[in-house]
Amino acid sequence: MNRELASGPVVWLGIILTTCLLLVLFQTVLWLVLPVLISVVAYYILSPLVHMAMAHGITRNRAVMVVTILLTIFLAALAIIIYPKVAHVATNWQAKVGDYAQSGAKLVAAAQKSIGKLTPFTSTAHHLKAATDGLKDKTGTTATEKEKVVTPPVVKPGAKVPATEETSVQTDTDAIDDQVAAWTNKNFGDLALELLRWIPSLLLIPYMTYFFLLDGPRFKRFLVQAIPNAFFEKTLYLFYRVEDQLRRYFQGLLALTVLDGTCLGIGLWCLGINAPFFLGGVAAVMAWLPYLGSIAGGLLVVLVAAHDFPADPWLPYQVVAVFAGVRLLDDFVFMPLTVGRSLSMHPLVTVLMILLGGAVAGVAGLLLVMPVLGVVMVAGQIVGELLTDQRILARHIHAKELRRRRARVDLFLN
Amino acid sequence: MFFGITPSENPRLKLLKNVVLFKDLSMRELAVVDQMFHARHYLADEVIFDEGEEGQGLFVVLSGRVKITLPVDVDTVLIELGPGAFFGEVALLDQSVRTAQARAIEDAEIVALFRTEFYSLLETHSGIASRISFQLARVLAARLRQAVLNTNRHHEAS
Repeated sequence: MNRELASGPVVWLGIILTTCLLLVLFQTVLWLVLPVLISVVAYYILSPLVHMAMAHGITRNRAVMVVTILLTIFLAALAIIIYPKVAHVATNWQAKVGDYAQSGAKLVAAAQKSIGKLTPFTSTAHHLKAATDGLKDKTGTTATEKEKVVTPPVVKPGAKVPATEETSVQTDTDAIDDQVAAWTNKNFGDLALELLRWIPSLLLIPYMTYFFLLDGPRFKRFLVQAIPNAFFEKTLYLFYRVEDQLRRYFQGLLALTVLDGTCLGIGLWCLGINAPFFLGGVAAVMAWLPYLGSIAGGLLVVLVAAHDFPADPWLPYQVVAVFAGVRLLDDFVFMPLTVGRSLSMHPLVTVLMILLGGAVAGVAGLLLVMPVLGVVMVAGQIVGELLTDQRILARHIHAKELRRRRARVDLFLN
Repeated sequence: MFFGITPSENPRLKLLKNVVLFKDLSMRELAVVDQMFHARHYLADEVIFDEGEEGQGLFVVLSGRVKITLPVDVDTVLIELGPGAFFGEVALLDQSVRTAQARAIEDAEIVALFRTEFYSLLETHSGIASRISFQLARVLAARLRQAVLNTNRHHEAS
């Protein structure tokens, strides 16, 4: 007898509202939520190692201890390797942001110029002006103006600069620099403080992972004790199904990230990009945010390519081609092999929820919306299934009546 | 655990030691299995599981009594089970539906071992899990033999 029912619109409305409420709540305690989330992911990834050690006769306590020590050593080694690079980037932060922003602007201008050359009927000043009038960015620079940035003039020091188109373009790029410099001056101190504030929270990760690995099964049994007898077997079954899906999802995601990062790294290395595997890894991690993350990761690497190789206008397009190739490989080969059996969600729902998460809780919402939605969705489906199973409800009412009668048995004296 | 009771003194483990499935296990091994059990308390007349439900695991009676009945004739009791007995064991092997209803006759303390946890035990403590599986196979073989004998007797009588 199959009593399972699909979630209806009411359940879905509840799921979306609950997700939004949780995101607003989590935003206020993000310093705690993020380490917990990372620890849960680490728990799912490391638990097979603990089981493997236990299968070799090691007790759970010792297995967890060994795995946590290995994790801490790995994180420490990673920090030691990455720290010099991060410190270097941090010291050049202000200049770098300006450089990358300018490279991006140049790339866009070069692209527009190329399009203009390919389609001469659109390249006249009038047409371009009309097309770009509505695209004024925050710096007050239009795309038409940026187009002129491509070949900045070489001017001797002290020489009088003629009032040509090139000099006006130079003025515009200087304006971009000023804007970026003002922004970094204003925000860099806050960002540095914010990063410092995160250090104690991030130190919690190995600590929490240790206790999740050690007491996870005990905690699950503790939670299960609260489930009434009538719901017990079905709830536990659904709980294990969900947990199995989550475990497969996180383990698959890790494998996918390694495969993606490696393939992107190899592709970027072939193109001669600096630090190809680091950039590939960053882009692969950014792809954890569905759809939007891949685009953001791609843009980041394209900007780096445009900045590092300004003389090669085709390199950014080659980078885009590498990204498209890895994306195809990802969709048709890696994804079915790794995250194939994860939580199924409609692409439109995914994108809408990411945007909604961003609108409700900002950057924290963007980061947390998918895992929160996944858990709330499954919890909502479990509650929906249980509350629509009339036989289980009847058994629960019967059991409650039995307990009520038992509780009243000695109350009324003859 | 610094202040916990040792496995040999644990009263629940002593009860479990009398269960046929676990008789080959030492008290320490039984303590490993015990960590996977879910303890439940049922009142007299409370339904434990229904016929037609997807079975998820095995139940062991620690105290009290349980009856197994068919839904078409709930008054005819197929079997009554007391402390040390177990039921629903086929669900430990596959995801088939329950073929009968289980209901507490009197207040009962019951522990449940779920299939997913048993599979996990097979991965982490294959020696313990294989001994339980072997005992389970023996019990099922004995029941099959008994069923064949009963059928033969029935044919001879008719």
